[in-house]
Amino acid sequence: MKKLIGYAMDIGEQMLISGAEVHRVEESISRICYALGAARVDVFIITSSMVVTVHTNDGNTYTQTRRVTSTNIDFEKLHHLNQLSREICEKKLTEQEIEKKLRDANNCKKFSLWFEFICYAVIAAAFTMFFGGDITEALISLFVGAIVRLSVYFFEKIISNKIFHKFFAAVVITLLAFMTVEFGWIANVDMVIIGNIMTLIPGIGLTNAIRDLFTGDSIAGLLRSIEAVIAALAIAAGYFLVAVLGGFVL
Amino acid sequence: MTQTEIIQILSGFVGSIGFAILFNIRGKRLITAAIGGLLSWLLFVLISKGVSSEPIIYFIIACVISAYAEIMARVLKTPTTGFITTSLIPLIPGGSLYYTMVHAIEGDLNAFLPKAIYTMELASALALGIIVSTTFARVFNKLIMNKVKNKI
Repeated sequence: MKKLIGYAMDIGEQMLISGAEVHRVEESISRICYALGAARVDVFIITSSMVVTVHTNDGNTYTQTRRVTSTNIDFEKLHHLNQLSREICEKKLTEQEIEKKLRDANNCKKFSLWFEFICYAVIAAAFTMFFGGDITEALISLFVGAIVRLSVYFFEKIISNKIFHKFFAAVVITLLAFMTVEFGWIANVDMVIIGNIMTLIPGIGLTNAIRDLFTGDSIAGLLRSIEAVIAALAIAAGYFLVAVLGGFVL
Repeated sequence: MTQTEIIQILSGFVGSIGFAILFNIRGKRLITAAIGGLLSWLLFVLISKGVSSEPIIYFIIACVISAYAEIMARVLKTPTTGFITTSLIPLIPGGSLYYTMVHAIEGDLNAFLPKAIYTMELASALALGIIVSTTFARVFNKLIMNKVKNKI
């Protein structure tokens, strides 16, 4: 039983990391545990920690906790984990089968790194157009987006703090945008900065925050909301730093 | 539809696809998410012909798009969150958020406060729309589950 709870925790942990809302993870874990023969399951999950206690029919209780420190949004993985937890509930899988499917889910297909860079660049360019920028501004956004992603990629290797990543990205965006204006390529920084800031917005975090808050997981919802607010402040701080200290504004 | 509106719809669509790829959404689910992104700004353009208050339009679209996301998630047997987020990306008030920031840095309190409140209004409208659909989805789920149980 101990080992089986471990699998349930593994699945839940990976779901949480890939961007599932707390309600879904709690439900998946308790369903899996019931399907595996528990008499009673108590699950408590917030974004950074998981506690599961299982009571078995023979009178034993098992508790496991996990500390979840990272988030790495990946809906392909989440989809597979979701399917796996359905399968466990519907038909009895053996330990080996669960282990194999869990490994498969963890090693699911990912887009390559350079493709991700292109995506960032295209998103930045698209939103520059969206908010009313012209072709020149969109093109500059495209390059700024790629450069920002590249520099953040190296920055991530030095410092692991996510808030700092946002701050650093905002600094690079603002700096590059004001530089292109100094060079006279574009007249106004606004559109380039807006387009690039869109790539930094913690969309999944906010959506999950709302969904968690209003489905009764208030603590998880509040934590996520505060994370989103701090991320927004970090972006603003990065912009302020460059705009004021660089002497571009005022 | 004017040219700007068409550009907005298309660029919002491209942005949605971009985010969907970043979130590693693949295959049928990628198409679903992308259609959501196209739909959201198309709806905005259409509704804004009749309704003038932007927060109300945002609320309506958030309701419709999250309902779409919930339904498609049931059909494709996959979590809802990815669909909601990628489809609503064009509605995120990035522009007014930025101008709020600019007014704050310029110390222009008279321009800052209305802009900040307006941004909050838009964001709350979005949140409210998502909540309404999510709650309805939960209720429907319960009803369907009860029916299935009664049959057995």
